[in-house]
Amino acid sequence: MSTVVLPPFWSLVETHGDELLVHARRMAGDANGEDVLQDALLRALRAYPRLRHAEHLRAWLYRVTTTTALDHIRARRREVLTDAPPAAAAEPEHYDDAFETMIGELPDGTQAALRLRFVEDLDYEGIAARLNCSAVAARQRVSTAIRTLRTQGIAA
Amino acid sequence: MTLSARLLDSIASAAVREGLADAVYTRLDTPIGKLLIVQGERGVVRVGFPEESVDDLLAQVAAHLGPRIVASDRELTATRDVVSAYFDGVDERLDVPVDLSLVHSDFRRSALTLLRDEVGPGHVVTYGGLAAKVGRPKAARAIGTACATNPVPIIVPCHRVLPGGGGVGSYGGGPAVKRLLLAHEGASVR
Repeated sequence: MSTVVLPPFWSLVETHGDELLVHARRMAGDANGEDVLQDALLRALRAYPRLRHAEHLRAWLYRVTTTTALDHIRARRREVLTDAPPAAAAEPEHYDDAFETMIGELPDGTQAALRLRFVEDLDYEGIAARLNCSAVAARQRVSTAIRTLRTQGIAA
Repeated sequence: MTLSARLLDSIASAAVREGLADAVYTRLDTPIGKLLIVQGERGVVRVGFPEESVDDLLAQVAAHLGPRIVASDRELTATRDVVSAYFDGVDERLDVPVDLSLVHSDFRRSALTLLRDEVGPGHVVTYGGLAAKVGRPKAARAIGTACATNPVPIIVPCHRVLPGGGGVGSYGGGPAVKRLLLAHEGASVR
């Protein structure tokens, strides 16, 4: 076993489960939120023992949930055309790579806001301080970006 | 937390089904309060008394079995039933697989194994008596430590180990609980 001391997984579910469900619903729609969250938490569980550090676990769960939601949206699109399997590599890096690819096409400022939120795990006040804007503007920037990603997922 | 119990159950069961859980835990209401029961692939690895911190106990288990720990009453139904049957007086054998991975020495492990195998409900043994059974008649004090650090109390019945001089001695769950368990089993205490 690695020397990284990770908290028991369920304590993360108990602490962050509610907000992750809100996030999953916002990305994939109310009807799919629970399915997305279940899938995301199982993916996270698969990767969990291989995490190299125990920091920013909340942000990590947000990234896993975000990529899972996008996979769901794409899979629903694909169902109509083909039954190609969804990309579900379990390596922790997969989520980080997938996350970077996912936000790669967005404007720089938007990417920065998303990274501060989902990689550095800052709250909106923290993001506002780093981007030199108000907390309201920071929240708006993040939620607009999520909406854009969601639309891209549907359009992909 | 407001995630529905149905969703949490579904996630935990899927994790167990897919072999993703290092351990599963449940909390069970009993006459001595809410017990924590943690079970790994090989058996029950930890039982916690009501006054112990669930977070600390789970962190202990995580350090030995891994951090992929989930909560599920449903996945531990069989174990819950066996422990409830003990407290209800329906079946006092506590016949569930036990995993002594959290025990730190071979001596302690063999003492606890022997205790569980040979001292059944309603019976008691002294610290010195158990030491003799293990083949170390002078190790009564070490037996005391083995009992005090027993990670699976009740199921591994350290409450049945008593001081040679009389009384019930100490107990992780408190002497009152030790007396209650012994009385429940119909054991006589000097």
